[in-house]
Amino acid sequence: MSAERVTVKEKVLSANDQLAAETRARLEAERVFAVNLISSPGSGKTTLLECTVDLMKPSLRLGVMAGDVQTRNDADRLIRHGIPVEAIETGGGCHLDARQVSRADLLFIENVGNLVCPAGFDLGESVKVVLMSVTEGEDKPLKYPAAFKRAAALVLTKTDLVPHLEFSLERVIEYARSVNPDLTLFSTSSYTGDGLAEWTSWLAGQVAALKRAQESAKSARP
Amino acid sequence: MHELSLALQIREICERELEKLPESRLTALGVEVGAFSAVEVETLSFCLQVVMSERFDGVRCEVIRQPGTAACSSCGLQFEVTQAPFECPSCGALARGVSGGDSLQVSYIEVESER
Repeated sequence: MSAERVTVKEKVLSANDQLAAETRARLEAERVFAVNLISSPGSGKTTLLECTVDLMKPSLRLGVMAGDVQTRNDADRLIRHGIPVEAIETGGGCHLDARQVSRADLLFIENVGNLVCPAGFDLGESVKVVLMSVTEGEDKPLKYPAAFKRAAALVLTKTDLVPHLEFSLERVIEYARSVNPDLTLFSTSSYTGDGLAEWTSWLAGQVAALKRAQESAKSARP
Repeated sequence: MHELSLALQIREICERELEKLPESRLTALGVEVGAFSAVEVETLSFCLQVVMSERFDGVRCEVIRQPGTAACSSCGLQFEVTQAPFECPSCGALARGVSGGDSLQVSYIEVESER
């Protein structure tokens, strides 16, 4: 009788991660910059996307995949803006996984409104962006560190409501940076249009950077 | 998060590993769970006991918590963190970012064989 310990070191979500890696490679080869938008329900993902699409549609080819637990409401709102939209009804699921995500310059993946589970599932996106409305409370980054830790950018939404709230922008920034100092921050109001120019020019910069990287990789090949 | 389905995937990983080890009996497994993996450790431990005991008798399930590391924004001290707020134990200032603590993996299995 012998006993031994065998080192495994296999990720529990390795099946999802493998699919995500395939999706990421395919998107990069097609030069599609993919943004996985994560937030609580009602923080304004769809509204921000409607404004973003209207501003960026003239210069870039855009696409949206909208995940909802039930209904196609978000997808239907976005279709009216004249871009290709794919609705993903999860039927009770509280996040998207790589199996559900498979041509555009810029693809938005509107995840299911939830700050816990979507943080854990890699979809093969280029970046995760976390949204947070000013009515949600300043300590969201501390309550849901996984989502903020893995995001490249934080978009504060509904900033037109700040005068009616006890809300400290400085505190949110301090909390968010304590989790992730590399977060790029945007303060936006889809209602007034404040901050949308900064947000869309950052997105356009990311798209351009991906194209440059792909072109130089292509010219480097013999 | 989805601790029961994670437990089932962990069992699958163990079963695949056991296929490589003929005539071995699984006696224990270790799962590493990061503090920022959005997984509830108590729930995962409970679910693991339930799903593992369906197939394997008397398996010991160890859940190893993996903390993250934070750096103080004021004095620069590096310290381990498992939950927010990430305050420096030395000077009380908030951290300037947290790294690590994202792990979610089957770290090891232990087996007994008749050899």
